[in-house]
Amino acid sequence: MKTRNLFYIILLPLIIASCKPEINDFTPSNGSADFTSFVAVGNSLTAGYASGALYTSGQEAGFANIMAKQMAFAGGNGVFKIPLMPTEDGVGISETENGLYLTTKLVLGYSTDCLEQRSLGPIPANPNPDQQTMWDYLKTSVADQGPFNNIAVPGIKVAHLLAPGLGSFNPFYGRFATNPATDVLINEAAKVNPTFFSFWVGNNDVLDYATSGGLKPITPVAGAVSVGFQASYVAALQIVLNDASQGVVANIPDVTSVPFFMTVPYNAIVLTNPDDVAALNQAYTPYNQLMEANGLPYRINWELGQNPMVIFDKDMPLPDQYAQYKFRQIKEDELVLLTIPQDSLKCGGWGTAKPVPDMFVLTETEIQNVKTATDAYNTIIKDNVDANGLAFLDVNGLMKQVATQGIIADGIDFTSTFVTGNLFSLDGIHLTPQGNAMVADYFIRAINAKYNSKIPEVNVSDYPPLVLP
Amino acid sequence: MKKIIFFVMAVFISTTMFAGGYQVRLQGNKQTGFGLIGTPTIYGSSSIFYNPGSLSFMKKKWDFDVGASVILSDIAFQKSESNYQAETDNKASTPFYVYGAYKISDLITIGLGVYTPYGSSATWNNDWAGKFLIQKISLSAIYIQPTISFNINDKLGIGAGFVYTIGSVKMRKALNYSGDSYVELDGKANSIGFNAGIFWQPVDILKIGLNYRSAIKMSVKDGDATFHIPSALQGTIPVNNKFDAELPLPANLDFGVAVNVTDKLMLAFELDWVMWNVYDTLNFSFKEQGALLNSANPRLYKDSFIPRLGIQYDINKTIIVRGGVYYDPTPTNADYFSPETVSLNNIAYTLGLSIMPVEGLSIDISWLQLFGQKAEKNYSPDNFGGTYQSTAIVPGLGISYSF
Repeated sequence: MKTRNLFYIILLPLIIASCKPEINDFTPSNGSADFTSFVAVGNSLTAGYASGALYTSGQEAGFANIMAKQMAFAGGNGVFKIPLMPTEDGVGISETENGLYLTTKLVLGYSTDCLEQRSLGPIPANPNPDQQTMWDYLKTSVADQGPFNNIAVPGIKVAHLLAPGLGSFNPFYGRFATNPATDVLINEAAKVNPTFFSFWVGNNDVLDYATSGGLKPITPVAGAVSVGFQASYVAALQIVLNDASQGVVANIPDVTSVPFFMTVPYNAIVLTNPDDVAALNQAYTPYNQLMEANGLPYRINWELGQNPMVIFDKDMPLPDQYAQYKFRQIKEDELVLLTIPQDSLKCGGWGTAKPVPDMFVLTETEIQNVKTATDAYNTIIKDNVDANGLAFLDVNGLMKQVATQGIIADGIDFTSTFVTGNLFSLDGIHLTPQGNAMVADYFIRAINAKYNSKIPEVNVSDYPPLVLP
Repeated sequence: MKKIIFFVMAVFISTTMFAGGYQVRLQGNKQTGFGLIGTPTIYGSSSIFYNPGSLSFMKKKWDFDVGASVILSDIAFQKSESNYQAETDNKASTPFYVYGAYKISDLITIGLGVYTPYGSSATWNNDWAGKFLIQKISLSAIYIQPTISFNINDKLGIGAGFVYTIGSVKMRKALNYSGDSYVELDGKANSIGFNAGIFWQPVDILKIGLNYRSAIKMSVKDGDATFHIPSALQGTIPVNNKFDAELPLPANLDFGVAVNVTDKLMLAFELDWVMWNVYDTLNFSFKEQGALLNSANPRLYKDSFIPRLGIQYDINKTIIVRGGVYYDPTPTNADYFSPETVSLNNIAYTLGLSIMPVEGLSIDISWLQLFGQKAEKNYSPDNFGGTYQSTAIVPGLGISYSF
């Protein structure tokens, strides 16, 4: 053999070696579904509301938008129009004694409390936003940019989907309705000729009650369309089904898996001074004597360390002449809402000298009402899913899993812990961008399982967590 | 001279992930061309690594051997249930060796070897889907081994060496805080071990070798941990912290047989038992805020057995050609497969050429191509998985001189 031939042998593998590894094991497909045009029906959760406001990047990170992008790999037309807000600070609506007040989103920042202690926590992006500007953001119509694929509207209950003129009452719909005074929200779906829909409604029918500490009404299960949950739900879903026969439906998570209700401890009153303990016990002696005299089990006692808050409870069984004594210490399984003013707790005597107002507490009775309604709604939702052969995401089960054991995706730990749990935004109810991506993957799995499709899952790690200063 | 050695080390220190786990057996270009078989062969001073027992069979008084390989590797990844793909952007890495041996008498030969049998490096994009597991890693270990070998009679040799190891680890992974947070870990570890072997040539045409290299625990003490995190967290997580970690370099038991079928043709078979079982968990413990930062990362490796075949043909007095194949199964656990060490079932072939222009001088060229078999893997603690595939090409060059 000649030396030259040997060099050819040596060079041969160089040619083979030019091939790099390549994997193509996943081919997206639509299965038996048609994802050509996707419409998302829902409330604030579907709208991409987060940290207490609707704002551009939150809307863009909404799970429905993420799903639409992934559906584009499996036959979707790639069009998913969102009625984007013109502000990144966002607009949220809060009710005050003087009427509606518009707020910006919450961000993590430093604030100084009544004890002059500086700490990191949720603060408004802008504490004093110009109300006129805010109303302009909210009221300026974007209807001419439609029709929209994301027709979710913050704050709506099921009956609102069918209510003519909703746009006059709910500016989040008014801003993209063609004729706010007459249009029906659910009819927006037909405008994009949908082939596939997502339908996640009903949360506010129970959340309105729960987030108001039981002061606002809960939607009754029975009753005619526009009154009862069942009839309204069926009617609204049927209208969507007339437009598209395929879709995914989600149910309603229980309040006990959401940080809005699970963050402030019931025993947040910390007493360190024995004199304070003695003074409080003395102050509540007449109360304890009154309860004893009436044969009622309520007693208020204080000790060093952590103590349950004193709360108003309008349902306490006291004779009418003692109505001013309808307060008691909160029980371990009762819930204090995230919105309770911390300064009032720390410095205003709330929970000790002054009972905590009803609007910041869910009592045992109220929690039971919430659970009963949630269970009833979820049964109706599941029945409708089965009757119409739709894909189904058990968000309730998913959130319970997050709350009890956590969920991990792409190395991110999701828990229901406020701020550090990665899932919930700073309002304690709506999701972070990462949380939306995680939920979008669960929606995708539910769809793929039902329709034998292969919508690719999204990288949860591509989406940002809460912003820290 | 000292300066030069350190320069050489700095250049060659990092070796790309390419063999089972983070082992790299490119410690002699003659052996590399021969399917990485070196236990039952007489290849001069490079036997310091492969089998100190055969060192005393070297023919001349002095023997020197230096060389290096260039590992060009690529890893492809496709995420589970997704069309997302990622690829590493690995820099070429260069394991090297330097050996010198002196035959004191017919009975005793001594030698010194410096080589790099373990190393791993992978560079993923900083924003890839697995960024919270790993963004970049490089491990390396340089072994320094003084060795003594006894030629008990002309059929049997035994040898042993003491091993001093200089190791380093550098890694970077993203942290799930805003502003593209990440942590960089940079640590060094020195440790000791040994390498011992027996070489038996019962008849001229048959050579048998058995070699054991001990496990070595690389313990990083007070490595630097640098956290790039939002200022809000810097009160809780110290930006500059120290960490301890321990990485085991597994023991090897290699057994090989070589047969001279004709004067010119040699065939060999080797089986290497790599005791990866020792790599159970990768623990990091931090000096400050340990309760918050410490982590135990299960790896659950299992032992692997690598069969190798080699063929060598002497074309004439100045040219020898070699070839080899081997199968290197992954020691990883399919549920604890981290993208920091993408070790798949590897099939490889090797080619080699030695040119001896003058008596005692050999120029050794080797070529290795490795095909990591596509497989779906998951790292369950982080719920991150997908299909991995890898390839590597490894050209190598060495020069040995004996006199």
